[in-house]
Amino acid sequence: MVNSKSSKLFFLVLSIFFVTIACKEKGKQFVLPKLGSAAIDFTCHDLKGQTWSLDKIKGKVVLLRFWTDWCPHCRYEMPVIQNYYRKLNKEGFVVLAVNVKQSPQVAEAFTAQFDVTFPVLVDLDGKLAQKYGVHTIPTNFLIDRQGIVREICIGDLFKDKTFMQSLLNYFSEK
Amino acid sequence: MKLLASRDSQRKKFISSILSILICTLILFSNQGSGSPGKPDEEITRYKNQKLSIKWDPLTKAPLIIRGVESSLLELENFSKLSRKEITHAGRRLVSKYQSLLQIGPDQLKLKGAEKISDTWYVSYWQTFRGMILYESSLGFSIDSQGRIKSLGALLYPSVQAPVTSKIGHEEAVKIAQKQIKDFKELKCRLLAESVLVYPVKKTNSIGYYRVYAFNFFPEEALHPASTVGGWAVFVDSQTGKVVLFETLLKPLGCCVPEDWVPPKPEEMKPKW
Repeated sequence: MVNSKSSKLFFLVLSIFFVTIACKEKGKQFVLPKLGSAAIDFTCHDLKGQTWSLDKIKGKVVLLRFWTDWCPHCRYEMPVIQNYYRKLNKEGFVVLAVNVKQSPQVAEAFTAQFDVTFPVLVDLDGKLAQKYGVHTIPTNFLIDRQGIVREICIGDLFKDKTFMQSLLNYFSEK
Repeated sequence: MKLLASRDSQRKKFISSILSILICTLILFSNQGSGSPGKPDEEITRYKNQKLSIKWDPLTKAPLIIRGVESSLLELENFSKLSRKEITHAGRRLVSKYQSLLQIGPDQLKLKGAEKISDTWYVSYWQTFRGMILYESSLGFSIDSQGRIKSLGALLYPSVQAPVTSKIGHEEAVKIAQKQIKDFKELKCRLLAESVLVYPVKKTNSIGYYRVYAFNFFPEEALHPASTVGGWAVFVDSQTGKVVLFETLLKPLGCCVPEDWVPPKPEEMKPKW
């Protein structure tokens, strides 16, 4: 009797343990950072071999964008982002365009088409995207001068008026 | 005594100069070795009396980027009067003009996309081999309002050698692919895209070309726009039935096949200063 009870208890504890692990694992995969929280720092190389981290560019307004070449939205928005970058870069606007799980050659060929001058980061194994909870391409994060995540946009950046307004606010203040 | 001192100093100078040469040689060689493997080289060259800047892919030996240094790569006459179809033919003209550099023919292009943003057209293609698309291949460029193409970006494979027929049937390939996904039935997975592709696999000094059945599976849950669930890409070698690629897929916006995409109006995309 006691044996049966204790074995039931054992299996119950075991089940709870596995369910907890499973939930944690699932949660681990796609959890977007909370608005107002500190952006997760990282170290990542760009196509030119330069190393980037958020810490290195603290004090700048950062558009952290995750993209791939098979995403039509990414293709369509690339030149528009380049325009913003060209215009606002001198005022402290940085674009970090993270190519997710593609070879550097794919990213390079794609960005050459658009004459992109902002850094294109290579997230070959997708770990940076995972760190930021990215599940859909494109996903954009607006990080302020203090390194705080202020806006998140999944999809069309330029249709998201709140995101764009927040971005421009940092510069219209000047 | 003085002579001895002078000899000694000469010997020191000789040894230090030898050491400097050795150190310089070592630095030079170590840089060559550690310089990121496969890093492309860029050069300025003359091609048919035109000055070009070319960045080469050291493995494929094809250009990754070509830029016209003092002139455009191509200028399209009467550009403002050209139709979309005529504009998308620019790729064929470009490849014809630079064929010996690009090492592919104009008939090997398949249109990937052509969009007009503000006054600029952005056109891109896949490379094909006997009608099959080469996975992740590309050739793209922009055309400004004057009809000028100043540079191109490409990922091309000049000497593709891939099987032209399949030894494994489609049905069998689907079954092999499905088996890769754990809980395929429970997740109610759907085959949302499939194709036969040439899949180039880069090795240390060469490239292997597989003729593959390419499948994109997504669980039913992923079809909901708000869902964060992704899918899987499975490539099955059409000759051996072996799975040569199995990876999780991120969701494109709207899920899950980019062909469904309807481009937003250009007005919405223009920056508002």
